[in-house]
Amino acid sequence: MTNDKIRRIQQQQQSWQENTLDKRVEKYQLPESPTRFYTPLDIKDHDFSKKVGFPGEYPYTSGNNPFDFWKAFADGAAKSDYRPDWGGAGGVGKYGGFGTAEDYRDYLIRMHGMGRRGGPNMAFDLATQCGFDSDSLYAEGEVGRVGVAIDSFRDFATIYEPYTGDLEIDKVPSNFTINAPAAIIIAMYATLAEKRGIALHLLRGTPQNDILKEFIARGTYIFPPGPSLRLFRDTCVFCTRHLPNLNINSMGGYHIREAGATQVQDLAFSMANAAAYLQAGIDGGLEVDQFAPRFTFNAFGGSMEFYKEIALQRAARRIYARMLKEEFGAQHPKSMMIRQPITAHIGCSSTTLQRPLNNLARSVIGGMAAGMSGGMPGAYPPYDEPLGLGHSQEAVQLQIDATRVMIYEAKIADVNDPWAGSYFMESLTDETEEQVLAELNKIDSMGGAVAAIENGYMQQTIARSAYERQKRVERQQDFVVGVNCFTGDKEMSIDINRQVEATYDPELMKTAETRQKQKLETLRRERDGKTVVSLLSTLKSHAKDPDRNLMPDFCDCVKNNVTLQEICDVLRDLFGEYQQVK
Amino acid sequence: MNQQERIRVLIAKPGLDGHERGARVVAYGLRDLGFEVIYTGLRQTTAQIVQAAIQEDVDVIGLSILSGAHLTLTENVIKGLKENQAEDILVIAGGIIPEEDKPAMQQMGVHAVFTAGSSIEEIADFIKSTKGESADD
Repeated sequence: MTNDKIRRIQQQQQSWQENTLDKRVEKYQLPESPTRFYTPLDIKDHDFSKKVGFPGEYPYTSGNNPFDFWKAFADGAAKSDYRPDWGGAGGVGKYGGFGTAEDYRDYLIRMHGMGRRGGPNMAFDLATQCGFDSDSLYAEGEVGRVGVAIDSFRDFATIYEPYTGDLEIDKVPSNFTINAPAAIIIAMYATLAEKRGIALHLLRGTPQNDILKEFIARGTYIFPPGPSLRLFRDTCVFCTRHLPNLNINSMGGYHIREAGATQVQDLAFSMANAAAYLQAGIDGGLEVDQFAPRFTFNAFGGSMEFYKEIALQRAARRIYARMLKEEFGAQHPKSMMIRQPITAHIGCSSTTLQRPLNNLARSVIGGMAAGMSGGMPGAYPPYDEPLGLGHSQEAVQLQIDATRVMIYEAKIADVNDPWAGSYFMESLTDETEEQVLAELNKIDSMGGAVAAIENGYMQQTIARSAYERQKRVERQQDFVVGVNCFTGDKEMSIDINRQVEATYDPELMKTAETRQKQKLETLRRERDGKTVVSLLSTLKSHAKDPDRNLMPDFCDCVKNNVTLQEICDVLRDLFGEYQQVK
Repeated sequence: MNQQERIRVLIAKPGLDGHERGARVVAYGLRDLGFEVIYTGLRQTTAQIVQAAIQEDVDVIGLSILSGAHLTLTENVIKGLKENQAEDILVIAGGIIPEEDKPAMQQMGVHAVFTAGSSIEEIADFIKSTKGESADD
């Protein structure tokens, strides 16, 4: 911008302030204006080519692609009664899992019978996620509760029984929402392919495998951060060499936010974690472009602050692309992209138990933010999210229809990065980026993500932010409709109708623990005990060498029916268990 | 409240559930309102929680559960307190507890259930009024 132009706008702004704005502020006796207006002065040095660029090109601020793949099929989907939650060919089915492997297998068979196909998208119970077998004291009451119980390769293989023919594992992908024992689950997946005579490079899917965020949010860690990152390195190298079509991880963002982080903390911590994983791959002897294209993210988002969530997506793509290119020397475009299945959204913690149908309005706002920031405009979550586990069919129908209204009627996603060039949005994106980089520097100066977890910095920062938010709500500095304002007698509560599909038989849930324990007993009786002991001792000696990749050991162990906890226990002895900083 | 009369609260996370935002926020909040608060951290067995409550001589246990295992876990804590003649400890719970489970929770001896949207002040007031009454006995 020329100096003349700048001067003219400055003069105009000053005169507006004195003659127009201040008078109004005075009229209403306010300490300051409750709104802000942005001008070219807010983005004086804005360089479109450097900061925004074209969609699908570096630095990806305006989007990963010139248009996303789903846009190519949108009209066809509308004409063919497509239901996204039914899982199609080539994708995973609905996220789920409960009871024993047999229970979950039977559920999947039932789903397939209804035409709901797609690969398994597994939720594991907490015992499995924390590396305990179903007969452990720690597993009491948890077996098969929030997901399926996996104690051994036998359980894993049972789930895949219906996946043959056109659902064979070289044809459908799998998702594994597991972190601390992710390496063992990946070993099971590879073992299954080997037993079925399927080449490993044909396997597709995504393990969550994002252990660092478990220490700051979600809590299903086992070992301390250092050894945990070593196990990540082993999976990263193993997948790159043998399962090149498997995504290596699905990094959090939204988990960290749900735990209480602000936007800036969420993005900074996620980037710090990503940098640690990238370094781990490089330390494992890989070139960054060999494996970074297989890194994915889960979903950045998690508040009702519409504008800020749009800026966050834009800033996130730019920061990650720059980090990959400038710090890690990546050249492959896919290495530099934040690939995430869900983009902006309100986050489950923005939903309210009070007047729950309002959550539909909230989720649409999140969907609008997504559609305007390089994602699919999806209403998420279903409005009955805070009412307990299990969305009702009604809530899911409303969610899907809201998404369709945004796509087909409002045409939200017909323009790429519609906020590009906005004085306000470019300024907010720059500001977000600056704050995130400052926070990242702070973490770097501590020694990176692992150090900032070991010293409790990330955990405490998030807990503090969560508390600050709570205080703001209680003091009515932040307003939540139906919770801390507009709650009087004049308001009406809307009756809702919820049919929760009886997917998980409560009787099976009740008996899962007993049945799972019986299977373990049989397994321990039937397997070759000597081999188990010798494999575990080999694992122990190999694990002592920090440079050694343990994936071949994990594969040998699972093949010979060593249980998940037996493997974890050997590593617990050696690595220790993570002790929380309270 | 002066130093001597401070009500002691144990905020506890039973089971393997790792969602601790609520637990930490309530712990901070009650501390700021003058309570003596001990937070157990994640992954406590119900026996460990009972033991900690007795050792720390607390007046109140606040259980935070978001995994759906609230009925079993809460029952085990209350059973443990009875076995140790510590049933005078007030038990309250929070987390994702469906409306339909609240009567069962109350029946097993939970004094109050605070779900999403509850304020810390509400929790504090409840504890003060309930504990205050029993102190007068």
